[in-house]
Amino acid sequence: MIHRNVLLYARGRYLWWALILVTACTVLYFTQGDSQPPNGGTWQGYVLGTLGALLIVWLVALGVRKRRYASTLGTVQGWTSAHVYLGSALLVIGTLHSGLQLGWNLHTLAYALMCVVIISGFFGLYTYLTYPQLMSSNRYGGARSELFAELFELDRTARTTASRCAAEVGIAVDSSIERSTLGGSIFAQLFGRDYSLFIRGDGKPVRNLDQQPCIDFVAQRLPRAARTAEAAHLQQLIVLLCRRQAVLRRIRRDIRLSGWLKIWLYVHVPLSLALLVALTAHILSTFFYW
Amino acid sequence: MEALLRELQPGPDGFTEYLDTHISASVVDIGSAAEQNIQLLGRGIAARHASISASSSGLQLSCRGRNRLRLNGRWVQRAALKPGDLLELGGHRLRILPPPPGFALAVELRSNQEIAASDFESAFRTDLSQTWLGKRTLAWIGMALALALGLALPLLSVTLQRAEQPVPAWLPSDRFWTSGPLHSAHQQSIGDRCDTCHERLFQRVRDEACMDCHRDTHDHILPANLQLSSLGEPPRCATCHREHNEPATFLVNRADGLCVDCHGENRNFGTLMRDPVRGFGGERHPPFKAHLLKSLAQPAGTGFDFLWQVQKVALDEAREDSNLKFSHVQHLDGERVLRRGDSQALVCADCHRLQPDGEHFQPITMERNCVGCHELTFDPAAPDRQLPHGKPREVVQMLQDYYAGKFMVAAEEGTVIQGQRLRRRLPGRQGEQADCDESPFLCAQRTAGQEIESQFTRRGCISCHEVRQDASAGLADRYQVVPIRFTTDYYPASAFAHRSHQIQGNLTGDAACLSCHAADRSQDSADLLIPAMQQCTGCHSDRSGDQSIKLQCVSCHGYHPRHGGRDETERTAGSESTGS
Repeated sequence: MIHRNVLLYARGRYLWWALILVTACTVLYFTQGDSQPPNGGTWQGYVLGTLGALLIVWLVALGVRKRRYASTLGTVQGWTSAHVYLGSALLVIGTLHSGLQLGWNLHTLAYALMCVVIISGFFGLYTYLTYPQLMSSNRYGGARSELFAELFELDRTARTTASRCAAEVGIAVDSSIERSTLGGSIFAQLFGRDYSLFIRGDGKPVRNLDQQPCIDFVAQRLPRAARTAEAAHLQQLIVLLCRRQAVLRRIRRDIRLSGWLKIWLYVHVPLSLALLVALTAHILSTFFYW
Repeated sequence: MEALLRELQPGPDGFTEYLDTHISASVVDIGSAAEQNIQLLGRGIAARHASISASSSGLQLSCRGRNRLRLNGRWVQRAALKPGDLLELGGHRLRILPPPPGFALAVELRSNQEIAASDFESAFRTDLSQTWLGKRTLAWIGMALALALGLALPLLSVTLQRAEQPVPAWLPSDRFWTSGPLHSAHQQSIGDRCDTCHERLFQRVRDEACMDCHRDTHDHILPANLQLSSLGEPPRCATCHREHNEPATFLVNRADGLCVDCHGENRNFGTLMRDPVRGFGGERHPPFKAHLLKSLAQPAGTGFDFLWQVQKVALDEAREDSNLKFSHVQHLDGERVLRRGDSQALVCADCHRLQPDGEHFQPITMERNCVGCHELTFDPAAPDRQLPHGKPREVVQMLQDYYAGKFMVAAEEGTVIQGQRLRRRLPGRQGEQADCDESPFLCAQRTAGQEIESQFTRRGCISCHEVRQDASAGLADRYQVVPIRFTTDYYPASAFAHRSHQIQGNLTGDAACLSCHAADRSQDSADLLIPAMQQCTGCHSDRSGDQSIKLQCVSCHGYHPRHGGRDETERTAGSESTGS
């Protein structure tokens, strides 16, 4: 499995690299004498800053490397493993470089961006380690398109069956199929919100949360079925609607999980690039006012 | 507007069925989303694809964004609609019908029954990439913001400021580049004008920018001395003075390394010989050498020129050369010397008063420290008359005048002066045996001569001063009192806080003083009572520890010369003449 490979790649080789780097930087940090406070202005601070800046550039380069399919410069797995461990080390190195001297200035902005990028990376790592398994079991190992195919088939069968029932049942089922929502806005995708509607007998669309109101509506028709045949159709319809309900739940959960699996990248990637600019400004401004 | 939607569907028995829906909305929208008035699923159909609106000029079709649909076989984005028009989208066919009364629009929908499951999936927004979120857009926004806030806008502010143009208050200024707060003194005088010190971009802060305000601060080495060495350029102000530090108290870099870099060895000092220093404690610091005044007498005119030179002397061979006769032991002995007023034994602070700087003591003078006990009276019969101090010629003159006057008055009154006592002649009796039977003037001359000799050679000046006698000279120039001068700063190159050493552990008062200065064992004013380095290293070292209090180079040695850079020798030495 890929997530095992990322952390345990080459038996955690880059974990050791990161640990050695962090230890060396910490030792360097404490060589800063008591005559001057530790910060980015001492020679140790310059060393830590240069190291941090090089690390940031290299970490961002993962975005380039993973698109170069023909590249033989290490494997993407190895790069990703190093990205995770050295990125974590960067949090320590950046903090040591700052000496925790924070303020409302460009330097702290760059530091804050770095922290947000790394922490979003931690979140991403967490989702990469846990969500694929959850998604896989949610889909019974299949693909999302299979769930949609099943839903499509259920919709068609339900429409046909509903057309054989009373008109208001037909309208209710047709409208519940047409007005079932899946996904949608960012919020709806991430939190699995269901804005489904269906048209009950009186012609007004009403909420159809988790399809249950529609199922209940059809079930209520069952005792009043005019003919035996209609009762059979209604029973079949209820089974179909319940299966549909289950499939919709799975799809909605799949959308939600895949949303969380990806949302961190919308923070991680843009802020990484913003960090690159802020880092350049940080270095330039240091030498503007030397 | 009111619209009628008629859906044509194949019924279970092969006949087409109609399903009419009444839509009441401001515009009728078409798309794949569930909330659309006319929901159509299939490939190429956006969530919100198009809408039909009614106005006085008729029906108007408009597609959202770049969406298109086919109107009567032609791809359009927007068009006017009339009854009979056929709209096609994803295989669905919408025909505009003449609207029945009360309706503005009537549409007949023939749905595409052949939608594939995969097309069905595309009707939903199931991925974040289908929302407004876009990594690329966000990245551009983030980069632009960082560039604007971090570089462009502060640079604009700097440019305006330097061109003396008004800077809008909302504009992020170069304060955004500050790496920490200014020292409060600098903050108060400079404020947010970064260009006061940072005169040009990419240029390090120049010493001249500091010297604009700190005009009285002198460089460590006199330019003339610097030329005698091969030390090269003196370091920049900013080498030791680091601004924008937190906390701002770290304005001065006190690291010993900054001093030891040059002073650690004597390699580059040339003729400015310096003992190498590598710290404080052990062998790292050379032994102290006292700067002592040495007096030299040279005959000049009727007297002497006394020259003082400052000599750096190792402590074990150093002798004070103040020319004063004084015993500390005697003065500290409560059996022999008592303080006026409360009759207690003298303490050090009775004479040695600390100056407000907490470091130096007020100079010892006759008037301030001695005359309280040692009055300069000379005639017990006139206890109010005192000799002028420090002016030997005036002493001679005064004594001559005094006795001349005294004998003249006595002659007029008929009294006899015997010895130093003035006796009143009893009425009706002949004069007793007088000491002087000559004229009052001669008697006065003789008595004054005796008193002058006594003052200079037996019991007056001679008690504390060294007096040189030239028997061949006239009375006025016969006695030359050697002037006194005390060393005021034994270690001028270093500071010592006497105030903070007035309490040392359990020692206070005289005990604290005597722990360093062995005055209680000094009989002779030539004894040097200045402690050696071992006295300091007993408590201090350049390294922190349980038994030692840390001292850095700058704890004792100031980097900037305190006295305008003038040489210590020039400052303390001088000359004084006696005679005429």
